[in-house]
Amino acid sequence: MGDIPLIDESLLETLSSCMDEKTLYRFFSDIDSNLPDKNKFSIFAGGGIYNHFIPSAVDSLISRSEFYTPYTPYQPEVSQGTLFALFEFQSMIAEISGMDVVNASMYDGAESLAEAVLMSIRLCKGNNNLILISEGVNPRFVSVVKTFIGDTDIKIENVVLDDKTGRTNIEDLKFKLKSKGKNGATVVVQQPNYFGVIEDLEELEPVIHGFNPRPFLIVSSTEPYSFGVISPPGFYNADIFAGEGNSFGNYMNFGGPLLGLFGAKKEYVRQMPGRIVGKTKDSRNKDAYSFILSTREQHIRRGAATSNICTNSSLNAVRAAIYLSLCSKEGFSEISLLNLKLSHILKEKLLKTKLFKLLYSGDFFNEFSLRILNSSVNVAKFIKEMAKREILAGIEISESDILISVTENNSLSDIDGYIKNAKAVLT
Amino acid sequence: MLKFPGIKGLFFDEELLISKGVMGISIPCSGLNSSDLKKSGRAYIDKKFVRKKAPRLPEVSEPTVIRHFTRLSSWNMSVDSVFYPLGSCTMKYNPKINECIASLGNMKNLHPLTPDFLVQPALKIIHDFNLILCELTGLAEFGFAPQAGAAGEFSGLKIIRKYFDSNGESRKIILIPDSSHGTNPASSVLAGFTPVEIKTGKDGTLNVEDVKKYISKDVAGIMITNPNTFGIFEKDIKKISGIMHENGSLVYMDGANFNAFIGNVRISDMGIDMVQFNLHKTFSAPHGGGGPGSGAIGVADFLKKYLPVPYVSFSNARYKISEDKERTIGRIAPFLCNFAIIVRAYAYLLSLGRDNISSVSEIAILNANYIKKKLGKILKDSDPFEKGLCMHECVFNDAALEKSDISTVEFAKLLIDYGFHPPTIYFPKNIHGAIMIEPTETESVKTLDGFIKAVGAIKFKIKKLKAIKSPQKTKVGRVNEVLANKHPIFK
Repeated sequence: MGDIPLIDESLLETLSSCMDEKTLYRFFSDIDSNLPDKNKFSIFAGGGIYNHFIPSAVDSLISRSEFYTPYTPYQPEVSQGTLFALFEFQSMIAEISGMDVVNASMYDGAESLAEAVLMSIRLCKGNNNLILISEGVNPRFVSVVKTFIGDTDIKIENVVLDDKTGRTNIEDLKFKLKSKGKNGATVVVQQPNYFGVIEDLEELEPVIHGFNPRPFLIVSSTEPYSFGVISPPGFYNADIFAGEGNSFGNYMNFGGPLLGLFGAKKEYVRQMPGRIVGKTKDSRNKDAYSFILSTREQHIRRGAATSNICTNSSLNAVRAAIYLSLCSKEGFSEISLLNLKLSHILKEKLLKTKLFKLLYSGDFFNEFSLRILNSSVNVAKFIKEMAKREILAGIEISESDILISVTENNSLSDIDGYIKNAKAVLT
Repeated sequence: MLKFPGIKGLFFDEELLISKGVMGISIPCSGLNSSDLKKSGRAYIDKKFVRKKAPRLPEVSEPTVIRHFTRLSSWNMSVDSVFYPLGSCTMKYNPKINECIASLGNMKNLHPLTPDFLVQPALKIIHDFNLILCELTGLAEFGFAPQAGAAGEFSGLKIIRKYFDSNGESRKIILIPDSSHGTNPASSVLAGFTPVEIKTGKDGTLNVEDVKKYISKDVAGIMITNPNTFGIFEKDIKKISGIMHENGSLVYMDGANFNAFIGNVRISDMGIDMVQFNLHKTFSAPHGGGGPGSGAIGVADFLKKYLPVPYVSFSNARYKISEDKERTIGRIAPFLCNFAIIVRAYAYLLSLGRDNISSVSEIAILNANYIKKKLGKILKDSDPFEKGLCMHECVFNDAALEKSDISTVEFAKLLIDYGFHPPTIYFPKNIHGAIMIEPTETESVKTLDGFIKAVGAIKFKIKKLKAIKSPQKTKVGRVNEVLANKHPIFK
């Protein structure tokens, strides 16, 4: 290595000398035991990542090292297991989201949304210079989109929410499309939106697509579990669906790795980012699977690729395929419905305490926003006090407003515990 | 359609899961009373929102799911089952203790928006791991928001952009050697730069004089992979860094090949300003059949203020998730980092310790040179850089194969029947019919000898083997990728 000096071991101060396996395990299990106890801590926080139940069978299957130790299936003949499972993943997500084509995963919902916006710009062939993002889109996702678009001359503008319902304000949307969308535009909404409210896509879609030139409709979602109960983006003629799939069989893992979902109409497939698995035949005329349309990708097209993505979230996608298979048609709908019911029960009970009021009147799925009426306790303090009582009460959306999520992992007794402790903290 | 699952050996056939009438999940008991349980969605939300047709998911029991995916898994070659010398991918063994640690119950069930005071130990992991990476590289700080190598590159390039913006300059060009990974030019374009290719010299490295030709005030930086994708150390890296710095440009190193350096040299000593690490490569986190990974981005002191947010800060004996970077490029991911991958990488470094860390790169280099020398004798006239030594990987062209009238891809498929995962092929693109082999440090001499012998056997029997459509022993025969693209079936 020529004139580059070798490292002096004494420079490595932080790195200890080697740990034997037993010591290493002890080191981390000590850390683990100083974190909130998963068996005692009830989680009512969502905001882009949700605490769903994961059956043991998912962990058992995904711990097969035939799944987790290979890399991207560049050689399809020796990767049929991963390819087949990813094909099933694509099929199941297409079914749930109602989209024509779904890819084999992106990093996470935020990156997926940013790539969707870039794709819509490509599809406009340079004419589109307006991205309208509803204020109902997760602010973390919006920040990521801004990082991606930041240095271009594309403008990002907000579309406000209706004060009363919490849905995207259709008049504001119309006004902005009319006044600024003459060269084409992309509209981004989230379903259900960041505040938990279900957007009225039936009303929005014809308005958006009625403009000339026809704007692109991107529907994002951080909780596709809602599509067990509510109609998915594909049913409303969405052009691109970009969401977070972590709810399907993946742990929260303190925020990552996650699972980016990406779907689109069939006619846009050649502008899609990421890997896509297709079904084909082998030399013996039997069914086989391989990556398709790779000419979109960086390892072939380099600077002209549709995206720079290479490594994605394959293993998390396989987890989702396993999880959704286990859920089956009936279980998926039932769990989705259970989320809806439990969240409504908690909302009712919280309103009954007269300590909160509902922020928005719009229908919701498993997440809703409340205002704390006791002005001497701000949300940060409420969350902190509740956390001391082993309840993650929600997420701060403003000093007085809190976002609360309920999943099938929260039982009625957890809900009663929330009520009891909230009363104690707020009165 | 499916008659019997038995095909050959221990391969069993499977159909897509589409049976009817059962489910394989035990739904948590919520305690709802029977009247609530009976209610439909319409009792809670406007019926216009209610989905009328349930998604057609499989309808299968738990044992059926288990058998289905267990069979599927057996159709994969994996690091745990075969030698997997995929060049530039660092397919090293993934220690099982790391998997055990990453699946500790409280860590994996931690919500990312849990208040800081409850997650101090988790933040400490990220903070301490950062310090160790800084010591190993000589850089000042790492950001962990990027989810994989390409996202790390993108973040690094955004930092370069922001750096020039702050200095009131708008430089447009990123110099990239022609041997680079495809992600380099793709990330440059994504960050708003124009990538300009530099030709590699005959010896497989960048020539200082050649680099000089590309220098102008419009050059924002160079993206240099070191060791490069030929597995060769860029011997003039320090001089090149000097030229770039003199021009006011920055030096970005693609750290995908850091396995050749870890514990032995600090990249700051090469004049590098920034690097991304693929924690699923050098730092032993598994590749997951294509991901997820983590693409930590490290920078020198003067670039710290540009790193992505949020990040972990430490003051007054408290760790905190902070957003206050003065000139941050912004948010790259929705939450803090791919925590579960960082835990594995941190555990990996702790298990090696300061006493063993340097042997990783030493043995990786030794193994690659062993293959280079021995295969060079079999694949005659095929080593474009025969004279020198390689670093962690070696590259051959198809000269010897062409003589036997066989293509690189045919050779790769033949290797499969001998029980080996093929190397990376047709990359780097400037080596004709490239075969790129990275054995890593976790392979024994016996395994390497087996691989070398297999190549020898293929070469010896090539006339006979040529008549066969390989691979023969796999679950499926040669996959028709042309058909797959001609009539795409997505679901």
